[in-house]
Amino acid sequence: MTIASFTQLICFSILSITLVLGALGVVLLPNIVYSAFLLGGVFLSVAGLYLLLNASFVAAAQVLVYVGAVNVLILFAIMLVNKKENLAAVPGLPLRRVLSGLVCGGLLALLIRVAFTTPWALPGPSPVGEEATIRIGEHLFSDYLLPFELASVLLLMAMIGAIVLARRDVFSSDIVTGAPVDQGLIEKARTPLLVQNPVQEPVR
Amino acid sequence: MFVLSGYDAFLGFLLISAAVPVLALVTNKLLAPKSRAGERELTYESGMEPIGGAWIQFNIRYYMFALVFVIFDVETVFLYPWAVAFHRLGLLAFIEALIFIAILVVALAYAWRKGALEWS
Repeated sequence: MTIASFTQLICFSILSITLVLGALGVVLLPNIVYSAFLLGGVFLSVAGLYLLLNASFVAAAQVLVYVGAVNVLILFAIMLVNKKENLAAVPGLPLRRVLSGLVCGGLLALLIRVAFTTPWALPGPSPVGEEATIRIGEHLFSDYLLPFELASVLLLMAMIGAIVLARRDVFSSDIVTGAPVDQGLIEKARTPLLVQNPVQEPVR
Repeated sequence: MFVLSGYDAFLGFLLISAAVPVLALVTNKLLAPKSRAGERELTYESGMEPIGGAWIQFNIRYYMFALVFVIFDVETVFLYPWAVAFHRLGLLAFIEALIFIAILVVALAYAWRKGALEWS
């Protein structure tokens, strides 16, 4: 065993253990904030695995988009939803657990079968590092040009949809009262930046 | 196949950045007085005394900014391979990238027009 393959084995083991433990924590921890932060850790471990596979561009995209943006969106969504609900026990919980366990076990068996039956060998050595990114750029601007331009249209649609959904005054008239609604998106009344809770007793 | 070539600096950076919080906490443990009274037990909140719980609802406008950030984050990811392969691609790719950016400028103009970028 050479030093290189030994290093790779160690890196792979650390990343895999982090990934599996983090994913289990995301599912099992009762506090949703912990789950969100652990999800960021899981995304980072996946980026490390990409780096281990010499796919540096995919790793950078993973960190930029998933850790930098998607995970932040999830955290914001958690902060926006403030309902501390008293979670009552769902009726028929053991049956549900058995059923979901069956579904997850079946999915696991399917994935293991796929992993063992797929021929993983690639034709020829794969491009590495900077060369891979250049290859991606060449493909993106020659034979994958239409998906590339469509991606910008998709981003445009996502932006418009986000703005339409996030603002409350989408409809020309109020749904409840029927009164016309101001179409300007800045609310006229100043809303506080932090929606105040009913003041709880100060922590001492 | 994988020999960590070119990742030496990355590994060093990773180790240093992992060592910084550990060193900070260990130094704190060694130097700080061992009192547990008074405000020592409070949650650190930028030097202010915290009032109320940490679970407060945030304004939806933060979410708007995050969404706009996601859009242009993805745009950056798409433009990076173009920038790396710029010399090999030529004029046509430049025009294609300009079209890509122009469509996203429409999105930016829409967000600007609708006041999503303003903080009233």
